[in-house]
Amino acid sequence: MSVNTWIVVAGDPAIGTLIETARSLGGQLSAAVVGPRAVAETVAAGGVGKVVWFGEPGQAPVEAFATAVADAVGAAPGVVFGASRSSDRVLLGAVAARLQAPVLAEASSVSAEGDGVVVTRSVFGGIAVETVAVAGPVAVILDGGPVPAASGAAPVEEVAAVPLGMTVVETHDSAFEQVDLGAATRVVGVGRGLKTQGDLAMIEALAKAAKSEIACSRPLAEGLDWLGKDRYIGVSGQHIAPEVYFAIGISGQLQHMVGVRGAKTIVAINSDPNAPVFQEADYCLVGDLYQIVPALTDALK
Amino acid sequence: MKIVVAYKWAPNPQDATVGAAGAVDWSRAKPGISEYDPVAFELARQLADATGGEVVGLTAGAKRVDATLARKAALSRGLDRVVIVADDSLEGAGTTELAAVLAAAVRHIGDVDLVITGDSSVDVGAKMVPTVLAGQLGWPAVGEVTAVSGEAGQLRVERAITGGTQVLEISCPVVLAASTDAAVPRVPGMRDILAAGKKPVETLEVAALDVPAGGATVTVTDTSRPDLKARKGQIIKTADPAAAADELVTALRGAGVL
Repeated sequence: MSVNTWIVVAGDPAIGTLIETARSLGGQLSAAVVGPRAVAETVAAGGVGKVVWFGEPGQAPVEAFATAVADAVGAAPGVVFGASRSSDRVLLGAVAARLQAPVLAEASSVSAEGDGVVVTRSVFGGIAVETVAVAGPVAVILDGGPVPAASGAAPVEEVAAVPLGMTVVETHDSAFEQVDLGAATRVVGVGRGLKTQGDLAMIEALAKAAKSEIACSRPLAEGLDWLGKDRYIGVSGQHIAPEVYFAIGISGQLQHMVGVRGAKTIVAINSDPNAPVFQEADYCLVGDLYQIVPALTDALK
Repeated sequence: MKIVVAYKWAPNPQDATVGAAGAVDWSRAKPGISEYDPVAFELARQLADATGGEVVGLTAGAKRVDATLARKAALSRGLDRVVIVADDSLEGAGTTELAAVLAAAVRHIGDVDLVITGDSSVDVGAKMVPTVLAGQLGWPAVGEVTAVSGEAGQLRVERAITGGTQVLEISCPVVLAASTDAAVPRVPGMRDILAAGKKPVETLEVAALDVPAGGATVTVTDTSRPDLKARKGQIIKTADPAAAADELVTALRGAGVL
């Protein structure tokens, strides 16, 4: 087995899982890194064989280097990994197009077999799992994982790149406080069962009493704008695995549940006894959240 | 400005069933305009109206994507015309193959300034077709786009990033994937649906397009149901909310998660 492996990095060195997975395949591991030099150096120290870096990006967004990344990877094609983040997908898409390589998203395991790789991945929004054997170049998307710990010092090779015609002219901070749901041991998730934005105060009180982070289903973060987008749990949002997840006023459509299936314990509070959330809950409370949530907050104090 | 909206006619996995061996049965899942694509139609229409442009719908898939119902569903949502690559060889096509066919169709349409897509498809949901499409065309791509303005040649694009938003100036042509809340899509009325029947439709077969060959072979070796954790499913009666809360807290402490 001597397959080339690549990781494409779009300005965020949180690619620990990609490095671990790529290394398990053996062969030469290179990283194509877009972003400031510090990112390239973090990746170079993180256990890869070589870093190709495209220079300081200046006012160009990472996506402007997609063609340059495709050129670099295209010169030594193989198995190419990218994290499931928007900008990383753009770089990986350019590479997949260059190689006419299939794209396998939501991958959970990758192993070498013969001259190719075997990939297991979740398909169709999480309703099934598929294992495929691939012969030839392939683009694989995984959760990036943490920033890798420093363990080596691979060479950083700077490649001159002409960015595509795009410039960052303004950057604005979100009005919402940022949160890392992945690190939370307890999460209170709230959905459309909540009637008004003002009622979030009641959920905040519960979250405080339960020492939890607050999360939500998609409509509350995208559409209603009651909470920041980084609090939205679901197939295209956050995937979490806390000790306990409280699903409050959330019906539990597949789209949402895919993001919380890793939770050790799930508590569901919903007025509809037929809500699908109860089929995947450990503790089921059918009733009015406006009565149960304050009572639960008191009980936790 | 000539704007192409690449959309998908697809079923929702929520309505599919999965057999014990992991085979997905779509027979009860009716296809429709993919969940987030109306946002892309709306964004394109608003930009075209502001700049005096044309909006061309584009889709590719098995023959059913060219059904009358499918044509009207797309054309009633603000498109001026539609180009449909309907070919049963595309049944189950992967991301890269589909993107290659769409790219060839964009070249066939010609003089396109901008391709807009929805956030992700309702069935596959990999968020990769727009980025591979851009790669096939050699154009830049940006995802999570929340607003677009400007004119042919130079666009001002706002997109969501971790912890905020960014405004980009982008030279056309470009592929933009809209965020799910970039626009509030209009609901087609009877007049839109009637008008849809009169709008131009161009149907293409894959053989008529210049599509590159795939670079690898993919063989499915196994399918299964997801390995879900066994859940207790314990019902806590809520007639007395305070008692229910106590019972839950005791149970959670007992399970060692509080």
